[in-house]
Amino acid sequence: MYDFVTQFGPLWGALASVGQILGFIVVLLLSLAYLLLMDRKVWAAVQLRKGPNTVGAFGLLQSFADFIKFVVKEIVVPAGADRPLFLLAPLLTFIFAFITWAVIPVAPGWVISDLNVGILYIFAISSLGVYGIIIGGWASNSKYPFLGSLRSAAQMVSYEVSIGFVLVTILVMAGTMNLTTLVDAQAGGFWNWHVLSFDMLPWPAFLITIPMFVIFFISALAETNRPPFDLPEAESELVAGYQVEYSSTPYLLFMIGEYLNIVLMCALMTVLFFGGWHAPFDIAPFTWIPPVFWFAIKVVFFFFMFAMVKALVPRYRYDQLMRLGWKIFLPTSLAAVFVMAGIVVYTNAGQAI
Amino acid sequence: MNRIAQTLRGAALLDFWGAFALGMRYFFKKKPTINYPFEKGRLSPRFRGQHALRRYANGEERCIACKLCEAVCPAQAITIEAEPREDGSRRTTRYDIDMVKCIYCGFCAEACPVDAIVEGPNFEFAVETREELYYDKEKLLDNGDRWEREIARNLELDARYR
Amino acid sequence: MSENMRTIVIDGEEVTVPQEYNLLQASEAAGREIPRFCYHERLSVAGNCRMCLVELVGAPKPVASCAFLVKDMRGGPNGEPPQMRTLSPLVKKAREGVMEFLLINHPLDCPICDQGGECDLQDQSMAYGRSGSRFAENKRAVEDKNMGPLIKTIMTRCIQCTRCVRFSTEIAGVPELGATGRGEDMEITTYLEQSMTSELSGNVIDLCPVGALTSKPYAFNARPWELNKTETIDVMDALGANIRVDARMGGVLRIMPRIHDDVNEEWISDKTRFVWDGLSRQRLDRPYARRDGKLAPVAWEEALGIAAEKLSGDASKIGVIAGDLNDVEGLKAAKDLFDALGVTSLDCRQDGAKIGGQGREGYLFNSTIAGIDKADAILIVGSNPRLESPVLNARIRQRWLTGKCEVGLIGEAADLTYEYDHIGTGPADLAGLSKKRTGFIKALKDAERPMIIVGQGALAREDGAQVLRAAGDLAAKIGAVKEGWNGFNVLHTAASRVGALDLGFLPGEGGRDVAGMLDGASSGDVETVVLLGADEIDTSRLGQAFVIYVGHHGDAGAMRADLILPSAAYTEKNGLYVNTEGRVQMGARAVFPKGEAKEDWAIFRALSARLNKTLPYDDLNTLRMKLIEDHPTFGEIDHAPGAASAADFDPAQLGADGDVSDAPFESPITDFYLTNAIARASKTLAECSAMAAGARAELQAAE
Repeated sequence: MYDFVTQFGPLWGALASVGQILGFIVVLLLSLAYLLLMDRKVWAAVQLRKGPNTVGAFGLLQSFADFIKFVVKEIVVPAGADRPLFLLAPLLTFIFAFITWAVIPVAPGWVISDLNVGILYIFAISSLGVYGIIIGGWASNSKYPFLGSLRSAAQMVSYEVSIGFVLVTILVMAGTMNLTTLVDAQAGGFWNWHVLSFDMLPWPAFLITIPMFVIFFISALAETNRPPFDLPEAESELVAGYQVEYSSTPYLLFMIGEYLNIVLMCALMTVLFFGGWHAPFDIAPFTWIPPVFWFAIKVVFFFFMFAMVKALVPRYRYDQLMRLGWKIFLPTSLAAVFVMAGIVVYTNAGQAI
Repeated sequence: MNRIAQTLRGAALLDFWGAFALGMRYFFKKKPTINYPFEKGRLSPRFRGQHALRRYANGEERCIACKLCEAVCPAQAITIEAEPREDGSRRTTRYDIDMVKCIYCGFCAEACPVDAIVEGPNFEFAVETREELYYDKEKLLDNGDRWEREIARNLELDARYR
Repeated sequence: MSENMRTIVIDGEEVTVPQEYNLLQASEAAGREIPRFCYHERLSVAGNCRMCLVELVGAPKPVASCAFLVKDMRGGPNGEPPQMRTLSPLVKKAREGVMEFLLINHPLDCPICDQGGECDLQDQSMAYGRSGSRFAENKRAVEDKNMGPLIKTIMTRCIQCTRCVRFSTEIAGVPELGATGRGEDMEITTYLEQSMTSELSGNVIDLCPVGALTSKPYAFNARPWELNKTETIDVMDALGANIRVDARMGGVLRIMPRIHDDVNEEWISDKTRFVWDGLSRQRLDRPYARRDGKLAPVAWEEALGIAAEKLSGDASKIGVIAGDLNDVEGLKAAKDLFDALGVTSLDCRQDGAKIGGQGREGYLFNSTIAGIDKADAILIVGSNPRLESPVLNARIRQRWLTGKCEVGLIGEAADLTYEYDHIGTGPADLAGLSKKRTGFIKALKDAERPMIIVGQGALAREDGAQVLRAAGDLAAKIGAVKEGWNGFNVLHTAASRVGALDLGFLPGEGGRDVAGMLDGASSGDVETVVLLGADEIDTSRLGQAFVIYVGHHGDAGAMRADLILPSAAYTEKNGLYVNTEGRVQMGARAVFPKGEAKEDWAIFRALSARLNKTLPYDDLNTLRMKLIEDHPTFGEIDHAPGAASAADFDPAQLGADGDVSDAPFESPITDFYLTNAIARASKTLAECSAMAAGARAELQAAE
């Protein structure tokens, strides 16, 4: 799907690309609406509540009602705020959350841009994501948002490091930075998924990849400011952190950006560790389900785990957060990179990479 | 040894899995949620809802402007002004409750020597503007007239515990 | 130990107290508080409430501590000091019993009672009261009495302490309250259902330990706990009574006395107490300028511009008249400004009194107010102290009651609440007095501390200076001024007068006095007249002059004004006031000035900048520093000079020589309740005035 231009010529190719991107965004936003609902329903269920159940059947239209509410509300810009930056910040978050999706393959060939350095791209863009938050906190010209954004900057930078090493471990193991290739490398059954990587046997690579997956999952929580690492918006300390002064559409943009990042993390876990669109067994009943659905099922499952974590785990203290990131995850993932690189170098000795 | 065990437990996320199992058990439990606007819970006679100024059976307002509620109000939500009425009795000329400030502690009702200001059973008084939540004497007396039966019943039910 | 002291044991603690103390005072000296209702320091002892019961060791029953003197206590058989107990179970039980009896007939009115929150009975029932009543019978109910427009009565609440009765007979000198009936039927009444004819009647409100007598204008207005209390100084008369102004939400709601033994003890006049409603009526809350014959509101900028334009002309054609209620700071700023402009026609004596400019002793109440308690002969010249300063009059009455003091009067005969020797009515009688050998002059001459009180009625007349000389002569002849005693006194009626005289707010070289300014204004020689709250002048004589009124009430001056600069009333500014005895007292702001009004000194400071004569102070503190630097007497807060410089003072040099007229002295105050702009704006005082006028007319008709 990425070579429209070569197929249809410059004009129609570009238009087709735009159409494809728009289609992708729409699908993404629609699924986001229901993921949000699912999020709320999961917490509700764990807390013995029913959750939203009034707007539409079973509350299915709740997210849309919320959307309309957000959009028609008044945009309040604080008097002391830096107006352009104040409005730019949520846009940044929103846009960065979207463009990362450009390289995520959801099914064979279903990717907007099949970059050879997809992982690097993700790396780059997700690092930019922190700007939205820090600009938002600063531009609000208010104490709590500023503290919140500072916290969030430190937190995201810290956990990006371990996420980076986890990614490096995986790409060293797979020997590619192209996500499509990476997924294809996991074809054939769930034992080939990177999280188990039995294809590496007799090297017990799963001893490395399973902890790496755990680290990735937890770091993803921290990276997306989800509980138990939602310190930038800890309501008991900072009211709502960097979002305090935001209302209406700008707040909505922040919100969407944040949830998109969460879904992106779920998608990354799927792609990197759980075989992307591949069915767990490469045999009849499983292969009847189209690959994109397998991808979606996996993403939804991880999203469910995210929701459960939020419902179950109490918030970390800030020093505990830092300790976990720098003193446990960083050494562990660094060691993993070394070991995995060692294995790869040893097994591939003499071969050209 | 303890620390190693602790580390291993942490690494295996044992606490999380325990919580997860518990969470999943609750996940499928029956929900006690009441479908609010259609179903309503039982209210205690002591429920502290919307304020009301009561009247005596002969229609005379109870409030005598002693200002004890104003003095006891921890949120300073009550403003009272008083002067002698034509017949010389002590009555308020202004009795305002800022329902936005009010914390519904019920001290005002507790302080009132004549059971004039009470917190009634009504809790459904959401309005669209802030101004509508600045209750004046007229509004409060109107509340009193509207809810008098329930208020009187609640006071009677609670009387023996006082 | 002196002869007069005695050592007694209170609760096991030895204290040495004067013999003539009663047990209650002795306990207080030992730091024990004794509850009481009927006992009051400044009233006679009645001993009828029984709340102050204490246990005397050896006595069969508890005794009322207010009515038992230390000298009557009996010691132990072996000369041990006498013992009393104030905290013993017996005492507590006795007081609880008394309290229960008091509460039997006291209604449970606290929520609707204005005394609630500051009620002695309420407070003490917290300590000695039962939680419930054992009294099953009907409670007593008493008909409310009409005590006029000031005092509201709810006689059912009365506990018959008789403080009010004792006050009206002893202090106010109008025996119009009394008790009828006995036991449960005892009632306090005015006998004739009339309002009290005393100028001090309001004090019974403070004296009443319960809510039987409360303030009528303040009725149900506020609770004591929601009032902001500011301690300040009164300006209704020249006494400078210490008052407490209670305000709530930007409005003054009542005025209460503060205790100052050397000034007002703990009394204030009704005018002082009830003037507060005048503070919210008829106020000038923004600048006005006269356009096409009508006053139209203008902005401060514009108003100051007009004022600056009018004041930048020929300084000899500008006149400045200060009123009676000004603070010293405002006058100082005005004087500094007009001095800088070269204006010499300044005067603070609206009534035309011929005083000032000859040394401080010439216009002060030199004996001091507390000195009245030591005087043994008092000659009042041209004054009715009962109207001019009721609290001071009550003090004279206290002295007279002791029987050690004779009082003489030259001037209008009036009921001064004490007996006096009416010597005459005019200046001739004053001059003739020293030539007599018998009668009051003998008392004056024999007196160790004679006092001559010269009122404004004697000074505010054409021959005022001559009368002053005559009074001074008399003072010199009878030896009223000597080491340690200065018996020459001037009783002022205006709160700002002494301060203004101290400042030298008087006509300078070639300047006109008030009469001169009014003449000049009528004839057109004076083109601009600045009135600093001066309302007591004859405004019809201002002619075509441009009148700038700096003041706070829309009264005579503002009516005539062409430009009004609104200033702050006495409750709205921090200011110094000097009372008639030369005592500098500091007033404080209780509420903020109304609307756009500014403090007086700030107005002149702003005006000075417009006139390029910027005054060297930007805030009140620097102004006060400058004031004290120029006039050191203002630095001595709450100090009355008294006889300090008696040796250098020759009263015979006062005033001027010349003939005196035959016209009798007239008191400057005809209507006690309406002497100034604030009082005239007060509804309550207007009612009082009408009532008093009615009573006067009735009296005349009866004659």
